[in-house]
Amino acid sequence: MQIATSTTPICDDQKSLHREPDLAHTEHEAALSLTALNSLNRAVAVIGPENGILYKNRAFDELFGGGELSPHLRECLNSLARGTENLESCETAFDDGRTLRIETMNLPDGLLVSAEDISKRVAELAQSAEQARTDPLTLLGNRRMFRERLRDLMANLDPAQDTAAVLSIDLDRFKAINDTLGHSVGDALLRSVASRLKSVVRREDVVARLGGDEFAVIQSGGPQPNSAAALAKRLVDLLGRSYIIDGNLLNIGASVGVALIPTDGVDDDEILKNADLALYRSKQDGRRTFRFFENSMDEQMQARRCLEIDLRRALAMRELKLVYQPQITLSTKQVTGFEALLRWQCPKRGLVAPAEFMPLAEEIGVIVQIGEWMIRTACREAVGWQQPLSVSVNVSAVQIASLTLLPVIRAVLAETGLDPGRLELEITESVLMKDHAVTLDMLQEIRSLGVRVSMDDFGTGYSSLASLRSFPFHKIRIDQSFVRGDPDDPGNIAIVRAIAALGRALGMTTTAEGVDTEGQLARVIADGCTDVQGYLISGPLNPELIEDFLHLRDGRADAAAA
Amino acid sequence: MTSQLYRLVYHSRNFISGTPEQVSVEVNKILESSQRNNLLIDVTGALIFNAGMFAQVLEGARNDLEATFERIQRDERHGEVEILAFDEASSRGFPSWSMGFVGHSCGDKELFTHIGEGSGFEAKRLEGEHVFRVMRDLAIAEETRAA
Ligand SMILES: Cc1cc2nc3c(=O)[nH]c(=O)nc-3n(C[C@H](O)[C@H](O)[C@H](O)COP(=O)(O)O)c2cc1C
Repeated sequence: MQIATSTTPICDDQKSLHREPDLAHTEHEAALSLTALNSLNRAVAVIGPENGILYKNRAFDELFGGGELSPHLRECLNSLARGTENLESCETAFDDGRTLRIETMNLPDGLLVSAEDISKRVAELAQSAEQARTDPLTLLGNRRMFRERLRDLMANLDPAQDTAAVLSIDLDRFKAINDTLGHSVGDALLRSVASRLKSVVRREDVVARLGGDEFAVIQSGGPQPNSAAALAKRLVDLLGRSYIIDGNLLNIGASVGVALIPTDGVDDDEILKNADLALYRSKQDGRRTFRFFENSMDEQMQARRCLEIDLRRALAMRELKLVYQPQITLSTKQVTGFEALLRWQCPKRGLVAPAEFMPLAEEIGVIVQIGEWMIRTACREAVGWQQPLSVSVNVSAVQIASLTLLPVIRAVLAETGLDPGRLELEITESVLMKDHAVTLDMLQEIRSLGVRVSMDDFGTGYSSLASLRSFPFHKIRIDQSFVRGDPDDPGNIAIVRAIAALGRALGMTTTAEGVDTEGQLARVIADGCTDVQGYLISGPLNPELIEDFLHLRDGRADAAAA
Repeated sequence: MTSQLYRLVYHSRNFISGTPEQVSVEVNKILESSQRNNLLIDVTGALIFNAGMFAQVLEGARNDLEATFERIQRDERHGEVEILAFDEASSRGFPSWSMGFVGHSCGDKELFTHIGEGSGFEAKRLEGEHVFRVMRDLAIAEETRAA
């Protein structure tokens, strides 16, 4: 602290000894401050009353040009001077495009002003804000931008007279293209989609890519719902027209859901949700189409969601069970086995029919778990039966496509020790339609384990000879509609006869399903079926009743023989 | 460097409505902008309008064909565009036509009655070949008539 203590002269310089030491120091300090201020890069000035400039540095002149204060700056300073804090600051844009940050501090008789040019920083912020709202791939707005614009629109809407619409758009089959042709083709396709989208909306409309292959448009202005309907129709047509990209011919479809503002929602969340519900409906209705939101969609979706929650819980809580319907072979009248049928005893809903929940189970994929559970349960229960009868289980197309079927069967057979020859899988013809070669390979492997495979519901689908020939089925199950149908319908009789003859020729058992009366039994016997299943024999039985049932039948057979 | 020549053949359904005169005015507009645009990027080809269908052959560099086709796809004056062929070609079938119109040499004959019948890959390829041949023959007839 040399300077602070220098009131006591410590140097022997004669001149300095003659001078008043305090004054010399103050002058020196002032000169130093002035040099420092002048060489500072930050603009600094002291403004006296009436906006007179008492002092300004070089940087100040550079920033504001020499001469008097500009009217805009004067206005700024006056409003800062009116502030209550000793230190005030503001950011202000000048006519020349620059943005400056100005700070003031009250001095006893003036205002200390300092200022800097923050244009660059402001521009960078704006750019990063823009970036944060842009989808880098398509250069459309992103979800954040879309949300903000939708929120703005809804906040400033006069519900009495303004209307608008949100169109939610989803591409069908995009994923397949991305997977088979690669991301670069997929990306180029998304850019083309974006460009087609932009080519049909109006300037004031907002287009965004919300993610993946999801796009959305806010359509403002124009009479609704007609404008939205016209745009949706055009989008379905235009986006669904084929694309040629990098030499590839690409075909995708577009589905569109529309929610109207203000009728279909009070805020952006609700509008978007409802546009998505409408989109979901248009996909359910076969895709390549558009749907307007309706209140019933919400209810149906909620009902579906409830069912989904209940169904997932059913799996965990063991609310599913199997019942078993016996099958007999006509030549000996002996029970040969049972078909395992799924039941869901829901504590809330009561007994739910498979037709009510299987479509949903398929859609959300839990059908694979349900199928696995069915195979495991059926095998486990069948092992406990006193007689080595067969047990058959339905297998869905989704289960086959999931490719877990074979390992599951292997594991369950190993676990339960069930003789593989007692397990029978029932598949429908439609299973063979998809991915033919892969499916056949898998069925062959299953067969080579010793497991039997039967063709279920034959007669209802394509009923093609090709599918019977493509795989050596053990059994053809003739759909109950032919057995229960009008006994005088020559068509029904002919079909059952033809299938029975086919089975005989191919060495397959033919089981008539749905035999409920003696009349029907006589008929299917006459038609040449080998096996039957139906209420005439017995309805589906709870597992604990199986032994009693068999016992009773044996007793009756003995009595009849005696 | 010359880039590989490609040929694109497609047909589509006419969506222009109105009297035959109005349709013809619109088709002329299509031809005008086609000729103007195609000339700039060295795309050649021919267009036919017959029995409510358009059929068009376009030849040029792949990128140029893709860009031109993308514009054509967005045109509301037609729809149900079906691409029959998009392949490399060894030479141009319509070297002197930026976009020729062969509509008037065929009168009212329905040239592509079987269009849209077969939808298999092979059927399309044959159809593409067929459309190209018919149009080239008509183009040659047109040029001889003009000469
Ligand atoms: C059947 C049909 C064929 C067309 N062929 C071409 C073509 O070969 N080249 C082209 O530039 N435009 C073609 N167009 C027109 C385009 O769709 C589009 O209108 C035009 O390229 C726009 O260009 P302009 O703004 O320069 O008129 C065709 C349109 C239709 C309906």
